[in-house]
Amino acid sequence: MTEYIKLIDVTKCTGCRGCQVACKQWNSLPAEQTTFTGSYQNPKDLSYNTWTIIRYDEIVKNGSLKFVMRHDACMHCDWPACAKACPSPGALVKMPEGAVVHNPQYCIGCKACIAACPFDIPRNNPELEKMAKCTLCYDRITEGKQPACVTACPTGCLTFGLKEDMLDKAHKRAEEVGGVIYPNNPKYETHVLYILPAGIQASDLQHTNPKPSMPLSVLLWKNLFKPFTLIGMGAVIGGAFLHYLIKGPHEVHEEKKEGGE
Amino acid sequence: MASHDIKVRVTDVEERVAHWVLAASCLFCVLSGVGLMFHSWSIIPTILGGYYATKLMHIYSGVVFAGMLVYSWYLWRKDCSFEPSDLDWVLKAGGYLWPVKDLPPVYKYNAGQKAFFWCLIVCGVIIVATGLFMWLWSPAFFPNVLARIVYMLHAGAVVVLAAFIMIHIYLGTAGNPGTVSAMITGYVTKAWCKTHCPRWYAERFEKSEQAS
Repeated sequence: MTEYIKLIDVTKCTGCRGCQVACKQWNSLPAEQTTFTGSYQNPKDLSYNTWTIIRYDEIVKNGSLKFVMRHDACMHCDWPACAKACPSPGALVKMPEGAVVHNPQYCIGCKACIAACPFDIPRNNPELEKMAKCTLCYDRITEGKQPACVTACPTGCLTFGLKEDMLDKAHKRAEEVGGVIYPNNPKYETHVLYILPAGIQASDLQHTNPKPSMPLSVLLWKNLFKPFTLIGMGAVIGGAFLHYLIKGPHEVHEEKKEGGE
Repeated sequence: MASHDIKVRVTDVEERVAHWVLAASCLFCVLSGVGLMFHSWSIIPTILGGYYATKLMHIYSGVVFAGMLVYSWYLWRKDCSFEPSDLDWVLKAGGYLWPVKDLPPVYKYNAGQKAFFWCLIVCGVIIVATGLFMWLWSPAFFPNVLARIVYMLHAGAVVVLAAFIMIHIYLGTAGNPGTVSAMITGYVTKAWCKTHCPRWYAERFEKSEQAS
């Protein structure tokens, strides 16, 4: 199956927030009442009804101020921790195109995905007891269209295409601007990639994970404790059965002196 | 009269009700929890009325378990406090694994039963505390880096407790014939009581026997 990547060239972002609006429009998400928080960033954070925002960072490096605007949304991991943690089949699904799609119909509001996500992306609606996040516009990309945010981007910061083409483009562009590609963990691939401006590392920016991976606690939980719940119980039942066969039950016998009473 | 025919009461009604409410809520939590953890056990959520209903029942059964856990601690904490001779009992595996001659005489509960009780209390407190967190936490006020450790601990404590519960069930039924009635009618045979709780038996009944 063809895999896709959304490439975010941070050097080209002007912070117009067209992607935010397009996301709201396509996914029928209501606007949020916000207040000024001392930053151009608005809303302040992702929410159940805001699946992407532009994050603003003011970075002082070597005496000069850099202003970085970054489109922030689900990274669509190849090996998604959210879907691994999810107890309800069908609520969070890794699609062959690369998108990680949530299905509110099956979501039971357990918040396990929120705890598991290495990028802190899923958001909960406490009233509905449902989570929500970016779907990479799965309903659009399967129809041969681009994600809504990509179509709205006026500067070419957001582009979307085949995985191989986008990886090629990312490496060329990174070389061109002298920046790095984020995330750059070959063991934890994502279907969203960033090209950061020269001199900027992922660790300089808010709400990033410079070394993303499947969290160790999720691995212990799902790959060790989960099977060992049944393996442990099964081993004890098997051991008890063997004990019954070999040693036999502990019968209570009459004491000899009892007979004399 | 043979001591097999004489029955003595070893548990009172509060203990038996507490035991079975605790056991039922605990086993329901294990069952519904397995249904939620393993997609391959979807038969459990199907019977219980879907995944959301299973989540709710798991939570409410957990609330009952939490209440009974506190009551159980109150009921059995004294009977289950360890004494020096318990170490000797553990080193001899209670005579369950190899022949042992001079097993230290047990009062009401042996060291294995006491260990199970304290394992239940410790694992139960971890499970209840992490479970309450998983139910009520708001991601807006708590970092998910710590939350995922809580989810892991919830599952980790269950591994220990679930395995120990299976030992408890075996030794309370097939492994020790005549024991299960202690938690149903409350009565066991005099011979059983002399074998399993010799010091408690001597303190409670032998003095009165001599008097009569």
